[in-house]
Amino acid sequence: MQNLLTLLQTTIDGILIGGVYAVISIGLSLVFGVMHIVNFAHAEFLMIGMFIAWFAWNYAGIDPMLGAFIALAVTFVLGMLMQRTMIKPILHAPQVSQIFLTVGLLFALENGALLLFGADYRSVSTGYQTQALTLLSTEAGRLFVPLDKLYAFLMALLSGGALWYFLSRTRWGRAMRATAQDPMAARLMGIDTDKMYMIAFGLGVGTTAFGGAVILPYITASPTVGSQFVVLMFTAVVLGGLGSVAGAVVGGIMVGLIQSFSALFLPIQLMNLTLFVIFILVLAFRPEGLTARRRA
Amino acid sequence: MTRQRLLPVLLFAGVIILALIPLGLDPRGYEMRILCITLLFASLGQAWNIVGGLANQISLGHAAYFGIGAYTSTILLKLFSLSPWLGGVIGMILAVAFALLLSLPTARLKGHYYALATLAAGEAIRVIANSWADVTGGPVGISVPYLPDGSLWMMQFSTVLPNYYLFLAALVVICLVFWKIKSGALGYRLRAIKENEQAAEVIGVDTYRSKLIAACVSAAITAFLGTLYAQFQFFFDPDTVFGVATISVKMALIAILGGVGRLSGPLVGAAFIIPMEEMANSYFGSSAAGLSQFAYGAILVLVILLNPHGLTALFAQLRDRFTGKGGSHDRSVA
Repeated sequence: MQNLLTLLQTTIDGILIGGVYAVISIGLSLVFGVMHIVNFAHAEFLMIGMFIAWFAWNYAGIDPMLGAFIALAVTFVLGMLMQRTMIKPILHAPQVSQIFLTVGLLFALENGALLLFGADYRSVSTGYQTQALTLLSTEAGRLFVPLDKLYAFLMALLSGGALWYFLSRTRWGRAMRATAQDPMAARLMGIDTDKMYMIAFGLGVGTTAFGGAVILPYITASPTVGSQFVVLMFTAVVLGGLGSVAGAVVGGIMVGLIQSFSALFLPIQLMNLTLFVIFILVLAFRPEGLTARRRA
Repeated sequence: MTRQRLLPVLLFAGVIILALIPLGLDPRGYEMRILCITLLFASLGQAWNIVGGLANQISLGHAAYFGIGAYTSTILLKLFSLSPWLGGVIGMILAVAFALLLSLPTARLKGHYYALATLAAGEAIRVIANSWADVTGGPVGISVPYLPDGSLWMMQFSTVLPNYYLFLAALVVICLVFWKIKSGALGYRLRAIKENEQAAEVIGVDTYRSKLIAACVSAAITAFLGTLYAQFQFFFDPDTVFGVATISVKMALIAILGGVGRLSGPLVGAAFIIPMEEMANSYFGSSAAGLSQFAYGAILVLVILLNPHGLTALFAQLRDRFTGKGGSHDRSVA
């Protein structure tokens, strides 16, 4: 009975956190799907989203769940500017240039935040942080859902659903998918592909920043917080197939489950080791799904 | 032809000048330390250049080899008083073993995917070093036992002057190795892979094997440099020697700044980056933590934006990209 409870609780935890990973990874996958750029700096926008939500909470008393929308708006504009000034010039450059531009951006953003905000850890306190919804209570133990994680999960669902609606049901979303599939044909159909690239990058980093903001109640913000998520979000994206937004959702939830289950068997410091190993193995043994595009 | 005659003369003169520089400096002084670190990172950049420059495999995980070298010799010195020369060789063997383990599945990966896989591998090793505290000492770091009667055999000296000549010798050897590979049969194979891997395979180049050899040579060199670093610094922790920013990206940045795939690249890159970083650190001190890494990032971005196609002036690769672009129908969003 107790084992079963532990198993169920671990599954719940995994899915809750996985839902947030999904939203964080959707942005990365969107950027790759539309522009074919692997953005190594992507996790830094999660950090920026967390900081925006923290400042909104600290100075205006706005709950991180609402601050997430501010984070989304600010990083959307920031992302569009960055796309125009930095990503656009390297869209057709060799991969070496693409890799090192985004790696350079990663260091500039992380350490820029360190210079601006200092190395302090910043957390918020909200009313629901310590509360939990009890699903089941027996003498063997209880099954519960922490409220902060539940809210973050629901917000993740909301933003994921909104993005899905945008991509599949609106004119702009269709134009964006057309750009992703064949930029030349899209241009011939009168789509402003440059604009689509800008919006896609803005939306990609904005979604990730949104995901960063909603986890603020249970993860403290610091300039280096992004580095905890880099491999994690790439694993989610690669598991689901790079460039596929729906795949990123599945990948994100899988990563959440892998993480919470490996925490049962491994010491906490080694929790991410499982992910690293799975990541390398997926890269190594499913390369056809990842590199086939260049050979097609 | 004259250029080929001139090159060895220039290099020889360069080595002589580098060998004479310390005579005018305080052997315990700060300038000597900067020179030592510059030489060390020039060597590291050259080691990265074998994989990143010649084979075009962008590794972001070379810190794994560096840290393995540093930790292996230091742990063996601590436990068994083993000479770092021997410990360094064992570290090289372990690094090659890890390179093989990593390369067997990943050597076929290209571009972004290879970079991602190596990044994850380096981070995995860092996580292990941090949590395996019984052996590595964990996050608090490890110090090299101090031997009052230092000697060449134990690689410990009373001033950094012998370290300097050790680093200079290492740099010369590594540059020779790089040149030997580049101008030899392996270099031509790697260049063929870099220009067009499929074409190389068609004409009979064993691309997998060539990349594997390059990865192993680069790993072994990097590991030994890790040992040299440990015996020079006397104290280090996992986040320093296995760091993405502190080692992996810095190695690549140094090779790229000076011209990727060129013998002179890492020399120019290190001479530019390391003194600048050290001076910024000593000038601003801890008040500006992150400044030097911010500068790295900004420099990288600027260098690439100034000439996005210039890093690898390879028309073949560009052509590949443009012809490959037509076939991107099989990807979908949503």
